[in-house]
Order: sequence, then structure tokens, then C-alpha cells
Amino acid sequence: MTLTLFYYLAITAIYILMSWSVYLPYRIGQLHFMTVANMAISAYFSALMTIHFSWPFPLVLLAGTLLGALTGFAVSTAVGDAPCFAVVIVGFTFIYLTKTVIENVEIFGGPLGIFNIPKIINSSSGNRILLIIIVYFFVFLTGFFINRFDRSKLGRAASTIFVDRNIAVSFGVNPKKIGMFLQTWSSAIGGMSGVLYAFIMRGISPNHFTFNFIGICMTILFVGGYSTMWGTLLAAPILWGFPLILPESLQAWNIVIYGILLVIILLLKPEGIITRVMVQRVENIRLFSGKKVTPKSPSNKKAAQ
Amino acid sequence: MKKIIHLLFISSLILLTVSCGGKNGKNETKGTESADRAAAEAVETAEVVVTEWNIPFLNCLTGPIAGIGEYLQWGAEYAAEQINAEGGIAGKPVRIERIDTGMSPEKGTVAMSKLVEDALVVMGPVPEPVIMAAVPIAAEEGLYCFTATTSYEYAAEYFPWAISFFPPTEEKLQIAVKAWAEKAGAGKAVQFVENYGAWPGMAKAHALGLEAAGAQVLENVEVPTDAVTFGPLAVKALARNPDTIIFACNAEKVAKIIIELKNRGWKDMNKILIFSSADDAALYTTGGESLNGAIIYNFSNSNLDTPRWNEFSRAFKEDHEGMEPFSLSPNYYDAVYMIKRAIEETGVTGDPNKLAEEREKIMKYCNDIEKFDGLQFTWTNRGGFPADKPLFLFEIQNGKKILVDKIIPE
Repeated sequence: MTLTLFYYLAITAIYILMSWSVYLPYRIGQLHFMTVANMAISAYFSALMTIHFSWPFPLVLLAGTLLGALTGFAVSTAVGDAPCFAVVIVGFTFIYLTKTVIENVEIFGGPLGIFNIPKIINSSSGNRILLIIIVYFFVFLTGFFINRFDRSKLGRAASTIFVDRNIAVSFGVNPKKIGMFLQTWSSAIGGMSGVLYAFIMRGISPNHFTFNFIGICMTILFVGGYSTMWGTLLAAPILWGFPLILPESLQAWNIVIYGILLVIILLLKPEGIITRVMVQRVENIRLFSGKKVTPKSPSNKKAAQ
Repeated sequence: MKKIIHLLFISSLILLTVSCGGKNGKNETKGTESADRAAAEAVETAEVVVTEWNIPFLNCLTGPIAGIGEYLQWGAEYAAEQINAEGGIAGKPVRIERIDTGMSPEKGTVAMSKLVEDALVVMGPVPEPVIMAAVPIAAEEGLYCFTATTSYEYAAEYFPWAISFFPPTEEKLQIAVKAWAEKAGAGKAVQFVENYGAWPGMAKAHALGLEAAGAQVLENVEVPTDAVTFGPLAVKALARNPDTIIFACNAEKVAKIIIELKNRGWKDMNKILIFSSADDAALYTTGGESLNGAIIYNFSNSNLDTPRWNEFSRAFKEDHEGMEPFSLSPNYYDAVYMIKRAIEETGVTGDPNKLAEEREKIMKYCNDIEKFDGLQFTWTNRGGFPADKPLFLFEIQNGKKILVDKIIPE
């Protein structure tokens, strides 16, 4: 595996995970950017534990994920059912606080960061292959659970909150509990991504965890489609890989191109490329393909809707 | 309607967050006789296979230090333009490939992972966070990096695959600060330090220089990276009643702190020493006449009067609305010329089949290059850094630097 392919695949996986961590709380209409702060905290935690205390990778990964979940849970007790704007402000504040602490505390390497994080195994190529397997295993696992959630009663309750919070409450749904659950889960994914990222890059710096990072995750989510988890899988490899193939003269314009692309998508297809209706249609085709039912039958139409 | 408002809010938020993102001189150097003979033999037997020499430059052309990146790029491209006008490198034209990392270690890492596949040599990365992330990849794969604007300490970590155009910070700065402190009669000093990159290390070297001159550092006043008001910092420093002040922080902050110090009664401007990294346009535009009399040290001398420097300076001013070349402007200009000399003297052909061997040739040659004819002075490298590069002390007067001392290492 070439180095370029390794970084392309590995960083794509990180963007998928991080975009999903924004997707989850957005199921109830919350933009939970704190997940980027969770990523930074767990990345630094893993770097310190590995370098100074020689913790093994599995332990660091578990601890980093739990750290993310615990931080997310603690904050969710206060903002579990807060409106979108409040959650955005809390997220930005946490990112700013985390960055300031990291930049000013010597043990975190200041504005420069921490580098030379050890490999999981000694062989460079073996380490790369192992990391790709681990990272995509967690992408698969996370995707599996998100898919289960989307199809569950809890997922439908989250959709109801997204459409109208009052109706959801009248049906007996508790927005705070669902909000806390989704924020905690999102923060755990953020923490896990931070640890994986630190081991992929073998170094971390405060420059990784900027508002730019949120911008890219949100672009992936909203261009791919915010109403299902599948849009992220389509948009992450394209949007992250896009600057890599830009000609030299256009490289400096990639952020502008991102912005323009986003505006065009939001104007032409506000729900993003992959919508829930589209996913439903694909599932119906799959369901009925073996039963010889004509797609035009009224019962099929109803099912598709 | 609610949905549309929600979407508009999200799109504006995304755009907001995304946008926060931003001469002529022949190399007439002569090494030892044997080296010359070997080089001549190599050149005679080697046949260049490339039609154009492509030198990638991992630079910051967008983001927070895009301004600095632009003039580093300008220096490299100006050198390439001159070299091409004189017949290129070993008869073939040279092109500087622009690679923008936007100061993102992640982008730097990915760009470097592509370059290790086929690049002969790399210029950059810039600055330190990108160096720390990307150079280990180059070092592991045997690709030589011209980290020409970073301190020796960062490049030394990846020696022999990274080169610095600066000598070890502690040794060199100590001598310069000692010389200045003795001349200025420094007794009790306060130092303003910003915790960024190599700056704390430079502050440490300043302190050693002061101690060697018999002066004492009363306190290091930390300048926060995101500081917006500087009065409290000036008050904190003056409360220690110092007779000398040294700066190791961002150019604009230096200027603002000096203005605050003067507002609070500081008069002895010759007892203010500003470090080289603050020798930037922001220092002079923000500080104006308030800086008159302050001393600044640097590794380059903008008052130099040689045809080559004058031509460089004229071209720089022409392309930068009359601004003088900044202190780091010559670094990548010199890097391109050093690569030219290495290719020509070692007989590098650019043959992809000999990539590893030719990378190593360039690395070995540049790490210990003899009497390199740089834009400002001739120097010799020892172990990947310049062993005899001078350091200059200037007095600032009305935005101009007047040379007061030149320190040449023994």
C-alpha cells in the first residue's frame, strides 16, 4: 500500500466518523460541534499516555473513547434538550477552551503539538495495513449501530423531535433523554476518532482541531445528505479527496470551491445528494425484487412512501 | 418556512466556519581538490534525463501565515527565473512546484506522502507544525528536505534528511546577546516571551547570553498568543523595575508592547532588544517612530550593497509595492541555488531508476557544502547547518535598520 493511498483511506475514514458524530445529534436538530473538542482531548490524551506511560493501543483507544463519552455526557446533562443555537455556542466555546489550554500548557507541546507517537507495530508497512483494518472496522461498527438506531423506535422518535418538538413531547417522547444519548454517543465517536487520528498521523497539533475542520465535516454531511447516514459515505471520499486532484493553480482556491459547492447543493437539493426517500426507494426495490410485485401497484407505492 | 430559515442558517454557519480556515552569481565555490575532481568526473559522465527539473515547495500560501509564505515563494521563483535565464540546471530549466499546505499538518503529511514517491528533493515544509508532521515521512523514505526557515533544532531531529539555514539557536544567540548586553550595560532584564514554535528556545538562549554578560533575567513575561491588550503586560514588566527589555514574540505584539512601555515612561530605547523573528513588516508599520533607538538582531543584512543583493532587493520592491525584502526572503532563493549546485556538482541526472542514489548524493553534498555563495554571504555547512553564518545587530530609526555590529562565529 502506497503512503498516499494509506493517508487517503485513513483520513477519509476519520472524516466519515466525524461527520457521523455531527449527524447523530442533528437527528434531533442539534449541531453538536463539541465533538471536535472531544476529538482533540482524546487525541492528546492518547499521545501522552502512549509516549509517557507506554499504554498499549487497545487500552488507549478504549480510554480515549470513554473519555469522550464521559465529557459528552457531562455537558449533555446541561444542553441535552437545548435549542440548536445554544448547542452551537457550547460547541464553539469548548473548542476554543480546549485549544487555548492545549496551546498554553507545556506538556501538550504548546502551539506546536506532540509528535513521534509510536507505531502500533514496528514494521512501517505492517503498521499502515493494521491501522487501515482497525479504522475501517470501527467505521463499519459505528455505521452498523447508526443504521440500527435510524431504524429503531428511538430513531423515529428523534425524527419526530427534528420535525416538531411539541408533537414529539405530546407522543411521550423525552427530548432531553434522547438528546443526552445522542450527544454522548457523538462525543464517544469524537473521542475514538481523536485516538485513531493521532495514531494515523503519529503526531497532533492544535492546528488539526480548527473551525476549518468543522466546516469540512459539515460540508460532507450537508452535501452528502443530512437525513441519512449514507450521504456521508458518498461525500467524504469525494470532498476530502477533491483537493488532492486539484491542479496546482487552483489549490489555493479549494476553500472557496467548497463554499460554492455547498451553496449550490443547498439551493438545488437542500436535503443533500442522498435523501431518506431515496434510501427508502432503494430498499423497496430490494425488498420487492424477489416477490414479482409490479412497482406500479398501489400497495407498493404506499410502501415506498 | 422554518425549514428554509434553518437551512439558510446552516449554510451561512458552514461558510463562516470554512472561511475561518484564509545573481546572479555563478556558484564559483571551490571545495577541496579531491571533491572538485570527483564532481568534475561525475558531471562528465552523467547525462541528464529530465527535460525539466521539478522542485516541489511545501509552502503556506493560504491561512494564517500566507503573507510570509508568499515572499518565501517569491524568493524561490525568482531564483528559478534567474537560473532559467542563465541556461537552467545542467542545461535544463527548473520549475518550482507550488504546494499549499495552508499550515495544516494533515495536508502537509498527505502532500509529503505523494512526494516521497518521485521527488528528487523537497523545499519546505513551512512552518514548524507542518515540518514536525511531514518531515518524519520524508526522513523514513530517504527524501531530503530543505527546511530553510526553521531553527536548527527542528531540522536536527531528522538529520541527515533535513537541513536548516540557521545554526544551533543556543550557541549563536547567546554570543549575540552577550555582545549586545555588554555594550548596552544591561543589568536587570525582563523578557517578553510568546509560547510559539522555537521562540521559547530563543528566549532561553537570550537568558544565557545575558547571564554570560553578568546581567540577570528578573522575569519572563508570557505574551498570550491571542492577546489583544498589552497595557497589563507592560505594567507587569515595569513592576519588576528592569533596565533592559528583550522581546521574543510576534512582530505586531512587540510593537504594541513597546508603545505601551513608552506610554508608561520607558525612555532608554537602546536597552530594548528585539529578536529576529519579529523583523517583519508588521513591526515597522505598527511601531512607527516609537521604535526609534531599539536594537534588533537578524541573520540577514538588508543594508548590504552588492550587485546581486541590490538586484534582488529591487525586484522584490517592484513586486511588493516598494517594501524592503523581509529577513527570511533570501532563504528559499538560496535553497534553489544550493540545489542547482548540488545537482551540477554531483552529476545528478534525474533518472527515476537512480532516485534513491541521487537523493542521497544531494543530501550528502548539501549537508556539508563548502563555501556556498549565498545571496548575502558565503557560508559552509557542517552537519546540516551553516557553521560560519554571521549575525547582525541593527538600530531602528524611522523604520530603517542601521547596522551597529556584525558577529561572526569563531
